[in-house]
Amino acid sequence: MRRKHFGEIALALVVVIWLAPVLWLAVTSLKTEKDVIVDHPAIFTTLPTVANYIYAFSRTGIARWLLNSTIVSVVTTVLTVAIDAMIAFAIARIRFRGSKALFIFVLAGMMVPFEALIIQLYLQFNAMGLINSLAAVILPRLAMPIGVFILVQFFKGIPAALEEAAYIDGAGRWRVFWSVILPLGKAAIVTVTILSFINAWNDFLWPLVAVSDTAKYTITVGIANFQGTHGTEYSLIMAGALVASAPQIALFLGFRDQIVKGIAMTGIKG
Amino acid sequence: MRHHNSRDAMLFSLPFLVVYALFLVAPIFYGIYLSFFDWNVLSGKTFIGFRNFVDAFHDEKFLSSLLHTCQFVLLSTPATIIVGFLMALAVVAPFRMGKTAETVFFLPYIFSITVVGTLWSWIFQKNFGILNQVLVALGIPGVGWLTDPSVAMHSIVIATVWWTAGFNMILFSAGMKQIPEEVYESARLDGAGRLTILTKITIPLLRDTTILVLILQIIASFKVFGQSYVMTGGGPYGSTRVLVQYIYETGFSYFKMGYASAMSVILFLIILVISVVQFAVARDEK
Repeated sequence: MRRKHFGEIALALVVVIWLAPVLWLAVTSLKTEKDVIVDHPAIFTTLPTVANYIYAFSRTGIARWLLNSTIVSVVTTVLTVAIDAMIAFAIARIRFRGSKALFIFVLAGMMVPFEALIIQLYLQFNAMGLINSLAAVILPRLAMPIGVFILVQFFKGIPAALEEAAYIDGAGRWRVFWSVILPLGKAAIVTVTILSFINAWNDFLWPLVAVSDTAKYTITVGIANFQGTHGTEYSLIMAGALVASAPQIALFLGFRDQIVKGIAMTGIKG
Repeated sequence: MRHHNSRDAMLFSLPFLVVYALFLVAPIFYGIYLSFFDWNVLSGKTFIGFRNFVDAFHDEKFLSSLLHTCQFVLLSTPATIIVGFLMALAVVAPFRMGKTAETVFFLPYIFSITVVGTLWSWIFQKNFGILNQVLVALGIPGVGWLTDPSVAMHSIVIATVWWTAGFNMILFSAGMKQIPEEVYESARLDGAGRLTILTKITIPLLRDTTILVLILQIIASFKVFGQSYVMTGGGPYGSTRVLVQYIYETGFSYFKMGYASAMSVILFLIILVISVVQFAVARDEK
């Protein structure tokens, strides 16, 4: 029994340590600059202030970057789920020659490191006249092989009977996809939606390459830039960092189990 | 009613395939093509065969970037795996706060790398950062976490472990939950202790999961970029400049597109080899 207590306490300690950086982020963001750059800082500030948040929203590009990231993430997610679900439907539910080869071709994309494509993609988008636009940020991220993988696995498990009945009733392919497969595949759709959104929101290298105009920055690029322009204003930087993470924190609190399940299912690493 | 299977399958696959072809398949071949040219944005393209590749292996900056990347892989891979494994053991054990622990351990993974990077830059800050403040309060001299060339890479690894160990925990705990309870019960009946159960049952039965985690971790680590870009900018004295950052700089600061493409091809090949090894191992299992 004593051993069990020891375990509980040790675990609690580690949990506190693991959470400490996030708490420090929040606490710093509520301090004034004067309370931050000091020897022996107070762990909790006696005079919390939201001045950093007000400053971040009124005097920096953060509101704009949040808007850009929201546009990029929402558009990316909607289109990714749509095109991934369509091809997954074809692979999982339509019998045709070459379906297996098509699936392998799609899955092979998981082996391609996006980091090794940035130079060429930049040149491609430059040639298309789309560089420095949100479209450039969105387009390369739309075909998500891991999403197809999740959806195909799930769609395959849907019993054929319902689909058969719909076809007998004279439903077309699109109708079956839209009113039978998609509703029954909701769990997988939710997983792919969340993964796609978090990936799009957190993407850093490609938006950094694709966009140079500060008004078009996504939030990740904006926050990275914050450090350059605000140097040692740590309380302001931390406020920005926390605001930048608000959507993921909300998503995580709301959909924790789906996120965890999605990762356990696929082992993707962002 | 199902006369048009091939046509319908094609139509449903088309949107994905168009995007896939334009922004994934095409860049691969375009990159290989470009890697054979000397191309500054100012000058025209000149075909130079394998010169870029030969040059890369005589380029001190490329070699040091490759070395730093390998260093990061070798340091971060075991650390994130061991920490992730221990976390998984803790959260599947019947502790009262197991669920809370799982949430907290996983939480950092949802942050973007720029948030993680700026946060840890502040924690590691030499004069006013909390880490050195604590050390000084304990009577230990502060450390140049991000300013000392011999320490900076380790600091980046610490931040990375904090950021991604929870991801490995999820994979390990999913694997652990699949081990049938009877296996443990019969071992306990045979008088096996906790350590024996861990080394003789849990670890061997998690072999597949461990291989998966290992490969994913190695691949992710080779692609490291954001951590050093945000926390150190590759410094001090280039001691944390990694491969992706050098590719980025070569392309977008020095505008040597051919050379940057050649290095991208090298990165691509490294990751391809690891993926193929994974595939071979996975196949052997079956």
